[in-house]
Amino acid sequence: MKTTSNSALETMIELIKVSKEYPPDVVALKDLSFSIASGEMFFVIGMSGAGKTTLLRLLCSMEIPSSGLIEISGRPINQLKGSHLAKLRQKIGVAYQDFKLLNDRTTAENVAISMEVSYKKPQIIKKRVRDLLDQLGLADKHDTITGELSRGEQQRVTLARAIANSPTIILVDEPTGNLDAITTEMVMNLLHKCNKAGATIVIATHDDSIYRHTSHRVMELRKGRFHMMTGGIQ
Amino acid sequence: MSFWLTVFRQVGRNIRQTWASQLMTLLTVSLSVLIFAFFYLIYANMLTFGERLGDDLSLIVYLEEEPGPELQQQLTKKITTFDEVEKIRFITRAEAYQRFARQLGPNQDVLNDMPKDFLPPSIEVVPLKNLRSLNQVKLFSAYLSRLPGTLKVQFGQDWVERFYYFTKLLSIIVLLSGTLLILTTIFMVAYTIRLTILGRQAELELLKLVGATNNYIRTPFLLEGLLQGIVGSSLGIISLYALYEWIKLRFSGPGFLNLFEFSFFSPVVSITIICVSILLCTLGSYSTMQKFLRI
Repeated sequence: MKTTSNSALETMIELIKVSKEYPPDVVALKDLSFSIASGEMFFVIGMSGAGKTTLLRLLCSMEIPSSGLIEISGRPINQLKGSHLAKLRQKIGVAYQDFKLLNDRTTAENVAISMEVSYKKPQIIKKRVRDLLDQLGLADKHDTITGELSRGEQQRVTLARAIANSPTIILVDEPTGNLDAITTEMVMNLLHKCNKAGATIVIATHDDSIYRHTSHRVMELRKGRFHMMTGGIQ
Repeated sequence: MSFWLTVFRQVGRNIRQTWASQLMTLLTVSLSVLIFAFFYLIYANMLTFGERLGDDLSLIVYLEEEPGPELQQQLTKKITTFDEVEKIRFITRAEAYQRFARQLGPNQDVLNDMPKDFLPPSIEVVPLKNLRSLNQVKLFSAYLSRLPGTLKVQFGQDWVERFYYFTKLLSIIVLLSGTLLILTTIFMVAYTIRLTILGRQAELELLKLVGATNNYIRTPFLLEGLLQGIVGSSLGIISLYALYEWIKLRFSGPGFLNLFEFSFFSPVVSITIICVSILLCTLGSYSTMQKFLRI
């Protein structure tokens, strides 16, 4: 069941027989094993309830697996605590499906938060925030309270926050769920740009328009289990 | 961005977000410090006053007969058997008469028809400074009254007892107001910090997810408690000082306050009260974090 990426590349994410169960007897993921190479763009697809979001939550250590091993850059993440865990989280940018925006803060403040925890200089934060909002077509929303933005705009702010700190891993959950075709292209272009810059990107989606013609690997999950892997070098 | 700059920004944000409860806490801390410091100030001044009174404390042992030199030596020996004393002075009937006449001043002619030996001889015993507690003085007095040839022992018992019980009552009030200070500062600060934490639950959750360290998340709350302590206790002490100055100004001239010298806390005592309050507030904030901010 284990599928490995190009062995010449360094492994960034590794899962070995990972399962996640919720009480009383809900199996969200079962015996999942795969590796993602550093700098790879990787798609996780499947129907609603297939376990895509659970997988991303495990990868960003928001939750711990019921069994199995998850390693990021060769380090088992469920054993990390305190400042080690914080340092790891700074290297992982996550665009959550439920956005997790602070709705009483401005767009700029929401994007800046991921850089502030890494103690980036204010002028660097300002420049990066403007740059990202510009690339995502949100330049005019800089000082708008995120609670007043549309779903599509909020989704883009979440993505901007995820990539603002230039993380080595970017986890994106349904990045185009609320977007039209043009904005979807804008978002995907930004993700490709980050990927070219060296970031490992994992995209969980059921929108086939963004992975239909891709050359990257696509893993399909069904009812929490590995179903098939297409694309890439196998 | 430096750690401290970020922390101060967070503190500012917290204060803005929960300013009403912050203000309430600040007022409660100030009031608690004011109440405690007020009673402690009175107590401290009473103690100083008591010490000054103690300096003049002496026991007068009235004797049946004027003791001869040998008896004087024997009595001195007996008195010092109980404890070392600062001074023992034998007063003859004639000396007692002269002293009384001096005290009467211009009215001393009332003594004209009185015999010069109508006052009893006595011994004036000034106890050592370490024998100044009421119980010790009482024991000493009882011992002296059992000496042969003693009529009566006097040391202003009623007055000393009343003063002793008054200071005792004050010490209880100080203790109670101190407890009030501890409870209000710890609980009020803890409560306010809890409100802030609950109000910022979503943000704290997000901060953890984007990789904020424990220090990054916790330090602003600790600093908030510290600030409450600094500002609250300083306000309390400043208010007390203003009250003290106002009373001094308002009641200056002959009166009750002039009976004894009333002074404000020394800078060391004021700073100690402020530091203890800061410590208590920080403790309140820390205890809440331990309970509600598990990272």
